[in-house]
Amino acid sequence: MVNLKYAQTNTPSPNQEWRRLSDAERRARVIDVLKTGMATVNGAVIIAAAKEDGQIIVNLAEPLPAGKRGQLLLDLEEFLKKTIDPGLAVWLEPLGDRNSLRNLRGIEVKA
Amino acid sequence: MSAAVQTREGALILDSHKLSHHFDRVQAWEAGERIAPVSVDMALTRACGAMCSFCYAMMQESQARSSIKTAHALNLVDDFAAIGVRSVSLVSDGESTLSKAYVPFIQHAAELGIDVGNATNAWEWEPEKIEQVLPHLTWVRFTVAAGRPESYAQIMYKGPEHTEVFDRAMKHIKYAVDLKKRKQLSVTLGIQMVLMPQFKDEIIPFAQLGVDLGVDYAVIKHCSDDEQHTLGIDYSKYEELYDLLTQAEAMSNEQTKVIVKWSKIRDGDKPPYKRFYGPAFLLQISGSGLVAPSGMFFNARHSKLHIGNYTEERFIDIWKSDRYWRAMNYLASPAFDAQTMMGTLPIQHYVSVALDRHAKGIERLQPATGPKPLHANFL
Repeated sequence: MVNLKYAQTNTPSPNQEWRRLSDAERRARVIDVLKTGMATVNGAVIIAAAKEDGQIIVNLAEPLPAGKRGQLLLDLEEFLKKTIDPGLAVWLEPLGDRNSLRNLRGIEVKA
Repeated sequence: MSAAVQTREGALILDSHKLSHHFDRVQAWEAGERIAPVSVDMALTRACGAMCSFCYAMMQESQARSSIKTAHALNLVDDFAAIGVRSVSLVSDGESTLSKAYVPFIQHAAELGIDVGNATNAWEWEPEKIEQVLPHLTWVRFTVAAGRPESYAQIMYKGPEHTEVFDRAMKHIKYAVDLKKRKQLSVTLGIQMVLMPQFKDEIIPFAQLGVDLGVDYAVIKHCSDDEQHTLGIDYSKYEELYDLLTQAEAMSNEQTKVIVKWSKIRDGDKPPYKRFYGPAFLLQISGSGLVAPSGMFFNARHSKLHIGNYTEERFIDIWKSDRYWRAMNYLASPAFDAQTMMGTLPIQHYVSVALDRHAKGIERLQPATGPKPLHANFL
C-alpha cells in the first residue's frame, strides 16, 4: 500500500508565477479556483492566507469530526496542487494548549 | 545508532530501534500490505497536573477533547489485539494515571498478551494503584526533570518552593522499586530527564538521583520542538554539554545505568529523511481520542492528517479505512517533507531513519538473530 519510490524525491516548491503574486492576489486566486472547481470544499473552508512559500492557511467554516476534516483538507490540497501549483500545502490555523496549568508558562504556539 | 546497554536483566535499547525483531511486519509493509502497527503510543487523557516547561503536549491541542470512558479504552485494547498490535506505551500527550480507565486498560491489555509500558510523573501513582498495575507492566519510566527538589519543582511545577511534588514522586518511585524487588517483578523502572540546554547544571544531580533511587536506568534525552520553534530550543547548544553527559554516563553502576540518547542529541533539529515511514509501525493516539499518524500532527494545524477518533468509531474500523492509509501514503509521498513540515525528532525517529535507509537501499533491515533485547515489542 505505502509507496516507497519517493524516498529521495524533493518536495516541490511553488514556482515563480506564484511567488511573484502579492498576498492578496494569491489568496484571491485560491478563492477563485475553489468557486469554480471544487463546490464540495468551497463554503466548508475559509481561506485565511496564501503565502509566498506555498502555505495555504485555512479555517473550517464549522467544526468537523476528525474522520471528515482530514479527508476534506487532503482533497483541498490535492485540488490546489493540480489546478494552481504542485508546491502548495494546506494547513489549519494552529490551536494553543487548553491546559490551564501549563498555560501559566506563557508559551504561545507559533503560527 | 548506539548499541544496547547491558543491564542486570538483559540488553536495553533506548537509543535505537527494534525493527529487526519484527521483520515479518517490515516484509509485509514492503510488499504493500496494510500492516498493523507493532506499537501504539497513546494517552488515556490530555489532562496533566504538571506544567513541565519542556512539554510537547503544549503544541498538541486538536479541535476537541473527547472524554475517554473505560468502555472506549477496553474496546481499543480489543481492537489492538484483533489486528496484531504487540505493545502499547502510555506516554503521548497526557498523564494517563489520572484516567479512570488506567488500571482496567493495563490489566485488560496484559490479559490479551499486549505488552504495556507507562511514562508518568508518579504524582498520583499511589501504592494502591502501583500494586494493581506494576505486575502487568513491562516498563515504567518516570519523568524526573532534575535531580534537585527545587529545580525539579521549578521545571515541572509552579516554582522552586513547591518541593512537595518532588517528595511525592520520590516516595512513589521508591515504593515501586521496593515492590519490584519484593515480588521479583520483571518490570524495568527508569527515570528520564528531558534536557533543555539551559538545564545543564541538573545533569549530574539527575544521574546521582537515579543511582540513589536504585532504578534500572536514568536516561537523558533531547527536547523536541515543533516546526515553528515554539519552545525556542537551540540545538547547537547541546554540543557544549557532551562532557557533562559523558561524566553522567560514567556514574553507572551494576544496578543503575545512566544512558544518554546520543543519536537524537547529535541529530539536532533536522532528520536525515524526507519521507516519514515510521507511523505505520509506531502509531500515536492522543489523550483526546484523536487518531493521527504521529503526535507531531495532533495540533489542529495538521488537521489534514487527522484520521478519526476512537470514541466516535471503533479503532479497528479507523485502521481498516482508506482514510488511514491515505494519511500514511501522504507521509510517504513528495507532498510531505519531514524536514520542514513537522516538529523535531518524533517518537518514530529511530524507526523512520532505519526504514528510510532500508527504502533507499543504504542499509537493508535484516531479521534479528540471537537473544531478544528487553522490551522487544516496543519499537
